[in-house]
Amino acid sequence: MAAKPDLAAKSDRDIVALARAGEEPAYRELIRRYERPIFSLLYRMVRDRELAEDLAQETFVKALNAIESYRPEFKFSSWIFKIANNAAIDHLRRRELDTLSLEGSPHAETPDAIEATALQIGARQESPLDAVEARELGGQIEVAIARLRPEYRSCILLRHVEGRAYEEIAEILGLPLGTVKTYIHRARNELRQALAHLRE
Amino acid sequence: MTGDSTQLHLTSDDVDAWLAGVAAPELQRHVDQCSACLELVQAEQALAAQLGTLPLYTPKVDFANRVMASVYIPDPFAIRSLQAARRRLLGSRKAIAIAATLALVLLGSMSASAAWTLANRDTLIAAGNWLAGQAAGWAWLGLRSAALNLIEQPWFAGFRSLVETPGRLAIASAALSLMYVSGILALRRLLAVPPRRVAHANR
Repeated sequence: MAAKPDLAAKSDRDIVALARAGEEPAYRELIRRYERPIFSLLYRMVRDRELAEDLAQETFVKALNAIESYRPEFKFSSWIFKIANNAAIDHLRRRELDTLSLEGSPHAETPDAIEATALQIGARQESPLDAVEARELGGQIEVAIARLRPEYRSCILLRHVEGRAYEEIAEILGLPLGTVKTYIHRARNELRQALAHLRE
Repeated sequence: MTGDSTQLHLTSDDVDAWLAGVAAPELQRHVDQCSACLELVQAEQALAAQLGTLPLYTPKVDFANRVMASVYIPDPFAIRSLQAARRRLLGSRKAIAIAATLALVLLGSMSASAAWTLANRDTLIAAGNWLAGQAAGWAWLGLRSAALNLIEQPWFAGFRSLVETPGRLAIASAALSLMYVSGILALRRLLAVPPRRVAHANR
């Protein structure tokens, strides 16, 4: 029997080719690679854990069911981030949910639901002192990001959290390159102003 | 940044270049002399560093299974069979040439057929009418043959005498209906499900 190919070592393009050939492990590998980045982007966009999970699931189902129509000359990551961003923006437009909700979803009614939907900050810290400091810093910056306009938020998250190039962000968001640069600079200005008191 | 490097401050693109570590030497000289730009690049660097350390969040453990439950995966065997058939059919130049010739012949004959049909509609209508007339003649002939055959049967005279008058016809119909109903009742009895307990079954 042939050895099972090491999917983790393969490129996205190879994994997509295997998925198109009907290999279920390739589908699972794509989910494994992108579930955290996609979920994080959506969570920071909609600020509601349950909703972010639903949107992430919708994103993956849409992308994987349309894998035949994916064009390999583009990056798979750009494609799936584009689907995720569209899902988030569509939702925000529908709900007009632009208010800050770090304390939990505005739709949560019970204490458990509020806790479940609250943005969890400083989750990967080590020492208690570091955790306190990171919670403070992370908390402030999460609040500042949450207060940005949705289009600024997408841009700044893709640029500085995901580390995407300006050109790729333009492709993901379907915006001109100049607009993306303007959004990112404005977002950084707003974030600097919001966090200025921390530097003093 | 253009012009006198001591008078103009950094642009957004200059800040990007600074953050990417590809700032030109004149930018460095300007930042060394301009406290406002020094403060700006320091703040931008601090912000970029903070943003870069934001954690990635993880969905619930069964996330992948929930996604996979809604994903349609094509059958690998069917795909491989299709690919193999495609390779067989289009695997060589000769095969491609044969396939192209067949496609051309098929398309050509279909086009010629459509063109001839459009040009000879009267002929087609006349042929259709002739065929319909022939079919009706054959159907009538068949019916007449069947009726003659029936009349010549030895039992036909007796059967005819049974239904010769309306009274006899009514009696014959009633007798047939009675036989039909009796048959249905007998069938129902035969096909009825037996009760769970059958008397004397354990003797």
